[in-house]
Amino acid sequence: MEADELLVQVAGGDQKAFEDLYGLVSGPVYGLVRRVVRDPAQSEEVAQEVLLELWRSAARFDPGRGSALSWVLTLAHRRAVDRVRSARAAGEREQREARRGHGPAFDQVAEEVEAGLEREWVRRCLDRLTALQRQSVTLAYYDGYTYREVAERLSLPLGTVKTRMRDGLTRLRDCLGGAA
Amino acid sequence: MSLFDRLPRRADPHSLAAPYALDALEHAERVRFERHLDTCARCTAEVRALAEDAVRLAWSTAAPAPAAMRDRVLAAVRTTPQEPAATEPARARATQLPPHVWGAAPPPRTRGRRRATLFVPFATATAAAALVVAALFAVQANGTQERLDAERDRSREIAHVLAAPDARASSGRDARGRTIGVIASASVRGAVVTLGGYGDPPNGRVRQLWLMGADARPRSLGLFEGDAPLVASGLDTAATSLAVTVEPDGGSARPTSRPITQLALKTVGFGE
Repeated sequence: MEADELLVQVAGGDQKAFEDLYGLVSGPVYGLVRRVVRDPAQSEEVAQEVLLELWRSAARFDPGRGSALSWVLTLAHRRAVDRVRSARAAGEREQREARRGHGPAFDQVAEEVEAGLEREWVRRCLDRLTALQRQSVTLAYYDGYTYREVAERLSLPLGTVKTRMRDGLTRLRDCLGGAA
Repeated sequence: MSLFDRLPRRADPHSLAAPYALDALEHAERVRFERHLDTCARCTAEVRALAEDAVRLAWSTAAPAPAAMRDRVLAAVRTTPQEPAATEPARARATQLPPHVWGAAPPPRTRGRRRATLFVPFATATAAAALVVAALFAVQANGTQERLDAERDRSREIAHVLAAPDARASSGRDARGRTIGVIASASVRGAVVTLGGYGDPPNGRVRQLWLMGADARPRSLGLFEGDAPLVASGLDTAATSLAVTVEPDGGSARPTSRPITQLALKTVGFGE
């Protein structure tokens, strides 16, 4: 059964449906959170909160507004970014990054993944962006930086970063099969 | 950063759609922008489109969750009450979570024809890719080692299709919500096909995938095993559609029953 139908059943309090939903979404949720948060223990904590929030808030899912998987992953990303920003504010992250080397590590979590299908596709499409489009998009999405922080890191005007983000996403859409 | 960039601290809200979709706004700015979304149908449509794009970046990061997490979450679920759907004030929700996702705001008047045409093409592609990914994870969750090895080989074949510059996705859904998804490339003559919502076939029966062409006899592309995606290679690029039939165990040389589902291949670059 698909995530969309399962989520509707979960909203009705169906615990078995939640187990099935967990099977479908826990990998994507954990992988995304891990990618943004990096620290395994914290990632697990955030992923757990997200999955539990799915149970609590399933009734808010509106199938008319998009797929369940999009809904779940948008929620997971928001939570991961919130966590990484507060950790960064506390200075933990800078220290970790200093120990590890530096910024965006596209392959880090990727290496641990078995199912490589979307990853190959997305990687291929990211390669087709200009360097600035790619950096603007990935620093924000995978590393949780605000667009102001991205602008500072890339030494670009704010307006340029916003435009690169938009152009980058739009070009991804075309490449990923949006326009047939 | 130049002085010019520092001056307008309150950016034009329209330009914030992409940073918002990437969760790249500071908290205060995010709240302001969500308030703006309540009154701007154009922005809402745009944010939803860009947010779908951003989610594509998420799928590529999927990784198996720690096994112990499952037990903890399921245990917590047994004792955690659920929130009711509609009783909560919209505003409370909007401050917590993105309205385009939660359905809290904005007003329904934006559900017009314009938005439908804006969303349909890539929403379809997105859904198709989601089906394939979900199917892969279902397999992983239930897999024995042997099956995982087989799955890894299959993943390589799948990656080959996806790595093609002309790889495209398409999907179909019937009235009962059952789905068929395909990602295909005409240049490598390959396709990855998934079924969703069909459950187990009747006892002693299998589901068989066929390639259909205008002038050619249906050609078998293989049998579906459980929920796993079926990878087909050596496709005739003149083929016009895929079809699935229910056949006796072991499959048939040609279809012996009416297709339970069909999917045209034109949008994924075949049939020319």
